[in-house]
Amino acid sequence: MRFYLSTLAGHRRGVLILLGWSVLEGVPAFFGGRLVGTAVDKGFAAGDPRSGVLWLLAFAALAVAGALGQRQVFARLGAVVEPMRDALVTRIVQGVLDDPTHRRTPDASAVAMITRHVEVVRDATAGVLVQARALLVTTVAALIGLATTAAALIWLVVLPIVASLVLFALLLPSLAKRQRDAVIADERTAEASGAVLTGLRDVAACKAAEEAFADIATEVNRQAKATVTVAWANSLRATVIALGGFTPVVLLVAFAPPLVASGQLTTGAVLAAVVYLTNNVNPALHGLARTTSTVVMRLMVALKRLQEVAPRTNKKIGTEVPSNGEVVLRDVTFGWSQDAEPVLRDLSLTLRPGDHLAVVGPSGIGKSTMASLLTGLMPPDLGRVLFGGAPVDLVVPEVRHHAIALIPQETYLFTGTVRENLTLLAPWATDDELLEAVKKVGAKPILDRLGGLNATLGHAGEGLSAGEAQLLALARVHVTSASIVILDEATSHLDPAAEARVERVFAQRDGILVVIAHRLSSALRANRVLVMDGGKPLLGTHEDLLRTSPLYGQLMLAWDPTHHEETPLPKR
Amino acid sequence: MAKPGDALLFSVVRRDHRPWLLLLNAAVATTGGLLIPSALADAVDMALGGTFVLFTLLWLLGMAATEIIGDAIGIVLAASITSRATAWLRHRLSRHLLALGHPSPFAAGDAVSRVTGDCGNAGGIVVTLISLAIAAASSVGSVVALALMDWRLAAVFVVSVPLAMFLVRTHMQLTADDVLAYQEVSGDVSARLLDAVSGKRTIAAAGIAGREADRVLQPLPRLAAAGAGMWRTQAKMMWRAGLLLPAVEVVVLITAGFGVMEGRLSPGDVLAALGYAALGMGIVGQIPQLTALERTRASASRIAEVLDTPPPDRAAPVAPESGAIELRGAGVTGVLHDVNLTIPAGAFTAVVGSSGAGKSTLAAVLGGLSAVDSGEVLRDGEVGYAFERPALLGRTIGRSIGYGTVAGEAEVRDAAVAAQVHDVLIRLPQGYDTPVAEAPLSGGEVQRIGLARAIVRDPALLVLDDATASLDTVTEAKVDAALTTALPGRTRVVVTHRAATAARADLVVWLENGRVRGTGTHQELWENEDYRAVFTGGE
Repeated sequence: MRFYLSTLAGHRRGVLILLGWSVLEGVPAFFGGRLVGTAVDKGFAAGDPRSGVLWLLAFAALAVAGALGQRQVFARLGAVVEPMRDALVTRIVQGVLDDPTHRRTPDASAVAMITRHVEVVRDATAGVLVQARALLVTTVAALIGLATTAAALIWLVVLPIVASLVLFALLLPSLAKRQRDAVIADERTAEASGAVLTGLRDVAACKAAEEAFADIATEVNRQAKATVTVAWANSLRATVIALGGFTPVVLLVAFAPPLVASGQLTTGAVLAAVVYLTNNVNPALHGLARTTSTVVMRLMVALKRLQEVAPRTNKKIGTEVPSNGEVVLRDVTFGWSQDAEPVLRDLSLTLRPGDHLAVVGPSGIGKSTMASLLTGLMPPDLGRVLFGGAPVDLVVPEVRHHAIALIPQETYLFTGTVRENLTLLAPWATDDELLEAVKKVGAKPILDRLGGLNATLGHAGEGLSAGEAQLLALARVHVTSASIVILDEATSHLDPAAEARVERVFAQRDGILVVIAHRLSSALRANRVLVMDGGKPLLGTHEDLLRTSPLYGQLMLAWDPTHHEETPLPKR
Repeated sequence: MAKPGDALLFSVVRRDHRPWLLLLNAAVATTGGLLIPSALADAVDMALGGTFVLFTLLWLLGMAATEIIGDAIGIVLAASITSRATAWLRHRLSRHLLALGHPSPFAAGDAVSRVTGDCGNAGGIVVTLISLAIAAASSVGSVVALALMDWRLAAVFVVSVPLAMFLVRTHMQLTADDVLAYQEVSGDVSARLLDAVSGKRTIAAAGIAGREADRVLQPLPRLAAAGAGMWRTQAKMMWRAGLLLPAVEVVVLITAGFGVMEGRLSPGDVLAALGYAALGMGIVGQIPQLTALERTRASASRIAEVLDTPPPDRAAPVAPESGAIELRGAGVTGVLHDVNLTIPAGAFTAVVGSSGAGKSTLAAVLGGLSAVDSGEVLRDGEVGYAFERPALLGRTIGRSIGYGTVAGEAEVRDAAVAAQVHDVLIRLPQGYDTPVAEAPLSGGEVQRIGLARAIVRDPALLVLDDATASLDTVTEAKVDAALTTALPGRTRVVVTHRAATAARADLVVWLENGRVRGTGTHQELWENEDYRAVFTGGE
């Protein structure tokens, strides 16, 4: 919310121009009542139809001027709303991409939701600017008009309006809460029915139609109830506003007779006052009530949701400089929350340049978490991860990113040329260097098929298989000068032969290679193996582990018989 | 013209007495509202006369109170009617969709939009109808009120409204180009963002979030330009619409002015004329409601389309022996043809074949998940299904395993242990109580939860539809061993792409283009070149 307001404040000039045109829009409200009153008083009632008509034509001319003002307001709205949307999108995209944890990745539907909420913010901001501004301008203009025509009665008019506005403001928090509950109930209904209806096969397989219906019905009923609760609050709000709008009229006609009789008020003044109230103030008040209940609440909910997808992270910028190329893990423990079983427990390990480590274990046991810790994406809960003697997450970011490269299982390809995609991490790389890397990892046939470095890729590596995309991602890292390379199941979609080739190519580079293994054959190529199976991690060479660890032996045994048709075990 | 949904809408309206209450309330409130301008005119004339008349003031107060209280009641009543009708439609629709079962004739996303969107639209039928009726009545009433004051006022009003609308009407629609451009660019930004979030780990690890954000945001200037164009068009529309009411008002006011001059009308009547002109214009503002009515009818038709689809008959004749299955001439239109098959109780059967051969459909009819269009399936006992991509249902991970059963915490835990997923679940932020939507799970983990869900049912027949495809080979072997321990001696049907799995099976059913190409052991079938191609050719 604070971000939103500060963004709007950043476009103060646009807002001021908007207000300037609003003054023109308020002109009919300021003169309207008086002109109608004068037309009757000085014209028709005085037997002078020509001046009566002229006064009314003046009224019409002012209405045209007002409409012109409104037109300008709308035309200028873009100058405030569009930059605000740009700033919002920018912040959210940065926030989403800056979030280091790898478990909360927005999927396609989350991205669609972001787009939807941004549009709500855009529309609602425009709505608020139009409505709230119109209310302010019209009410103030009408009240000033009223004060100049029927000064004696101004307090009778102002006090009820102010009182109802104050009451309305007091009702707002409870209204806001109910509205928010209703929006959440709405989302829950969509989620519940979405979960069941996209999983109809599974509902049928579980013979769970009753439970599934109950799941939907619970949310549907809750939503219906929330809607009625909001309606009660809206009803109260509408009553308060209606009273605030109508009481001044009643008070005016009740107190006017003696003033008219004593000549303090003219016919024109009374008519003008009533026109001001019924034609200008009342519609503006109702507009306010409508806007606050729907638009403002939608705006707040959307902003809150957006904040959840792109939380502001206060990361410390590291300043440490590593003194050598070693990576040391010392008694590292990490878990997703206090209550949950730790994903990693008491892991100690030293990696020196030239080391080639394979990490094996069942999926979901925390291998990727280890990769994130090694990269400095997250600090451990307990223990230390040191790079050249310095805690890796506190190393100067440029140095760290330059030295450590992580290739995750899910590849990042974006729309652009193949060259742009390949030089993502090494913008300085020449075409020769790129071709060399592409050849080494075995991606040359893909490059040829695509049509060379200048060929363009569509969204999400469209037209490439998952394995081909992985090869391009591998070439992209091979061309960098990173001294620590972590392959986190980065070869999962390659066939065993291609995988072996990639691992060999990376092992030939200087520095440290860590392979989070998808297949156990990766362990046979490494000079050390780390076995993670939920308990305390085991570290050793393949032969050591076969001798000393019954678990490792079992793993190898379990793996072996299912692999007849794949490449036989490489000889060491 | 009648639409299929009209009957449904009629039954929504006739559900209870509340619509009549709303109509009555609206009639009273509208009458009050219609009398206010004349009551106000009398009160103003009283004020101008310089004498205070209590009755005139009380009459004005009474009318105002009628309108204000009526509106307040109307808001709650309308919300209550709409939300009840919506909920009623949603209950009926979701129950029917569940009865239609799998495979549903309606795509999942489409079904969801019918439940959330269309039911919401159709539920508003009563309020839409009544507000249209009231707006019409109110406009007619205003014209009558104008005529009662001076027939000339009514005549001028009736002539000027269509004329003014005609003048304003031209170019009332948004330029489609800007809207289209805006949607296109907005879609491009979303696609770029989706690319980037898919590669979030690469971006985070390389510290290039700033640069990649710029890449995602590259089309923003075009978006802003299209947006500004939309605002300019809207400005034009507002300008024309903003002229409509004053134009009519001025014409009515001039007529009323002459009435005052000639003594037919009092000064207060001028105000009344102004008030009735505004009220009478109310019908113009209701024009969008006509679109809403059409939308309501279209939505109702989409709901009726589902409700009119009869659920298939899934009752299967009982097989002689528990756990055994017999298919006699079973067929599913366009997918499976004349399948005759007997799977003995306790056997481990593999179903193989290239993509599109009908493996999943065979698995579905074997266990009664979907119905056959011809022939019959004989079967007995509980069936457990596990899939390649299971959808996890229920609020928490724990519940998603026990979904549709009365299994307690201990049974759920045992099933998770057997499916080799317990170790993963206890590491989740809230363990088994982690909400499904918030659980960070990989495809392989979800598969194993799906297995646990099948195990917890203690089925006589276990159907695994490629349910271990995402598991690494170590985990797959462990799961396999655990299944044998947890469910000893059960009939097991496994749809698989892996030759190693087929090799372990007692019986292999080889499908091709929806027909059984062959049955036997893996070794026997391996002699056939076409059979070998199933495992090697596609990869």
